[in-house]
Amino acid sequence: MNKKKLLHKTTQSFLIYAVIILLVSAPAFYFVSQWLYVYETEEVLLMHKGEFLKESRKNFTEADIKLWNKYNRDVVIVPDMGVTKDSIVGKMMFDETAQEMEPFYLIYAPVDINGKRYTYTEKINLLEMEGMVYSVAFMFLFIIIILLIGIIWLSKRTSVKLWQPFYNTLHQIHDFEIDKNKTPQFPETNIDEFDRLNKSLLLLTEKNREIYKNQREFVENAAHELQTPLALFQTKIDTLSQLGLNEEQSNLVGSLSTDVSRLNRLNKNLLLLSKIDNEIYFEKNDIVINDYINKHLDFFTEQAVSKKLSIITEFTLELQIKGNPALTEVLINNLFLNAIRHNEKNGKVIIRTLENELQFLNTGGKTLLNIDKLFNRFSKSNPSSQGNGLGLAIIKKIAELNQWEVQYNFENNLHIFSVRF
Amino acid sequence: MKILIIEDEQEIALSIKNYFKDNGVQCETAKNYKQALNKIDNYDYDCILLDLMLPDGDGFDILKELKRKNKTEGVIIISAKENLETRIEGFNLGADDYLTKPFHLAELLVRMQALIRRKNFKGNNNVVFNEIKIDIFSKSVTVHDQKLDLTKKELDLLLFLIGNEDKVLSKGTIAEHLSGDMADMLDNHDFIYAHIKNLKKKIHQAGGSDYIKTVYGLGYKWENE
Repeated sequence: MNKKKLLHKTTQSFLIYAVIILLVSAPAFYFVSQWLYVYETEEVLLMHKGEFLKESRKNFTEADIKLWNKYNRDVVIVPDMGVTKDSIVGKMMFDETAQEMEPFYLIYAPVDINGKRYTYTEKINLLEMEGMVYSVAFMFLFIIIILLIGIIWLSKRTSVKLWQPFYNTLHQIHDFEIDKNKTPQFPETNIDEFDRLNKSLLLLTEKNREIYKNQREFVENAAHELQTPLALFQTKIDTLSQLGLNEEQSNLVGSLSTDVSRLNRLNKNLLLLSKIDNEIYFEKNDIVINDYINKHLDFFTEQAVSKKLSIITEFTLELQIKGNPALTEVLINNLFLNAIRHNEKNGKVIIRTLENELQFLNTGGKTLLNIDKLFNRFSKSNPSSQGNGLGLAIIKKIAELNQWEVQYNFENNLHIFSVRF
Repeated sequence: MKILIIEDEQEIALSIKNYFKDNGVQCETAKNYKQALNKIDNYDYDCILLDLMLPDGDGFDILKELKRKNKTEGVIIISAKENLETRIEGFNLGADDYLTKPFHLAELLVRMQALIRRKNFKGNNNVVFNEIKIDIFSKSVTVHDQKLDLTKKELDLLLFLIGNEDKVLSKGTIAEHLSGDMADMLDNHDFIYAHIKNLKKKIHQAGGSDYIKTVYGLGYKWENE
C-alpha cells in the first residue's frame, strides 16, 4: 500500500480547507458586496430625492421644471404617475450613451411643487457598480490565495522543522540492530512529546539489548559449561571401549560414541555462533576461494564417496575476497557439507565461481525448500538427517557479519546456494 | 616414559592415567597449581599435560615457570578454551601442542608420542613395530624391508593405530584424527573403512601380519598376535 508521508498529510488538510474556503467565499463575497451596493444605491436615490425636496421645491415654477428636465438626464420630474409613496425598482433599460440594454435602479417618489403633485424619478446605472464588484472580488480572491499559499508554505516549513526530531528518532530506530553493540543516539529535543518518545524508546532498546545479551551469554556459558561433562563423557567412553566388550555391548558403546561426538559438534557450533555474535573474529585477509576449495577437495570427496556423488568444479575465474580466513573456511565447509549431506545417491555437487559470487549446486529433494525457515537455527528440512540444523544458521551469520548476501534457489532440479561477496 | 598431568578435573586425569598405563606411559597427577609447581621442581618428566584453568592459578604461569627454570619438558595444553588468542599465547609461552576438550584419549596419546619422539630426536625418528618400520622424517614405511607405497592418510592411520596398540578405537575417533582441523564438520565416519581396507591390503601384500582387528559395532584395534 502506498503510505502517505506525515508532512504531506498536514499540508494536504490545509490545502483542502483552503480550496473549500475559496469555493464558498467567492460567490458569498460576490453576493454580499452586490447586496451592499444595491443597498447603497437605494440610499443614494432616497438621499437625492430628500435633497431635491429640501432645496428645490420652494421656488420651482412650471418653467423651472421644464428646464430641469431639459438639463438632467437621470433626474426627471414628471406629472403625477399616481405614486403615493417612495418606490424603488430595478429594471433593464436602453442606455443612449452605451447604445444597449443595461441594468438600472429607479426611484419613483411623489413630490408637491407649488401645490401641484408631480412624480420624482431618478435612475442610476448599476453597470459601474458591477465592474467595481468584480474588481473587488478579484482583489479579495487574490489576497486570499496569497494568504493561503503563504500559510501552507509556512506550515510546511515549520512542520518539517517541528517533526525533525521525530524523523531523527525514526532513522535511529530503523538502523538499530539488537545484536550489534551500538545504542541508538537520540539527539536532545525541546519538545516534551518527542523527548518522552526518545526516552521510552531508549528504555525499550536498552531492555531488549539486555535481554538479548543475557540470552547470548546464556548460550555461550551453557556451551562452555557443557565442555567439561562432555570431556568426561568422551574419556569414559574411550575407557569403556577397552573393557573387552561383547558384541551387544560394543554396539551400545559404538552408538554412544557417535552420540557424544554429535553432542560435541553441536556444542562447538553453538560456541562458534556465539563467538560470531560477539564479533570475536575481526582480522580480515585476502582469500582466494578457488585455492581453498581445491585444497580441501579431497576431504569432501571422501565424504561424498558413500553417496557416490560426483563433485564438479566450474572455476570460470579466480575468486578473491576479503574476509576472516577462519570464518570464510567455516562458511565454505558448511556450504560444501550441506550440498553433500542433503544429496541423493549418485547425485552431483557443482561448485561454481562467478564474478564476486560463489555457488554450490546440488541434486537432492525435488522441491523448493522453505526459504523463510531455511536459515533459522535448528530448522531441519529433514528431521532424520545427521546435521544439527546449525550449518545454514552459521552460514547466514558469517555472511551477515561480512555484509555478504546468501541466497537459495531451486532451478532445474538443483538446489542452489550462492554467496555474493 | 613418565608424564605429569596437571588437571583439576580428577576424573579426566584418572581416565588419562588408566588409558596410558597399558601403553607404557607412567602418569603422575597434580590437581592444582601449587602441586604442579612442586612436582615440576622435584622431578623430570618426558611430557606435561597442562590444563589452563586451575583452581589456584593460571596454566600459563606454569609455562612461564618452566621457561624460567630452563626445563625442557614438552607441554601439551588440554583446555576447554577454544580460541585463537589462547592458542597463540600458549605456543608463545612454550607449549608444543594444544588439544581442546573434549578430546579422544587415543588422540592425546599419539600426540604425546609424537611430541616425545620430536623431543628425543637423535638423528633418526623411527617407529618400529615387529616387521613394520616407519621413518617419520622421510615419511616412508617398510615391511620386511620392503617399501610400502602409502598415501598420507594411510600413513597417518598406521601411526595412529600403532600408537594406540591394543586399544579399541571407535570409527569416530579414527575419523576425527584423520580429518584434523575439519573434524568438527564430520557427520559421517564411514569413509575410514576404505582407508583401513587399503592399509590392510598393502601390509598384507608386503608380507606383513594382519594386526588390524575389527571390533564389531565399535571400530578397530591394532593387536600384536
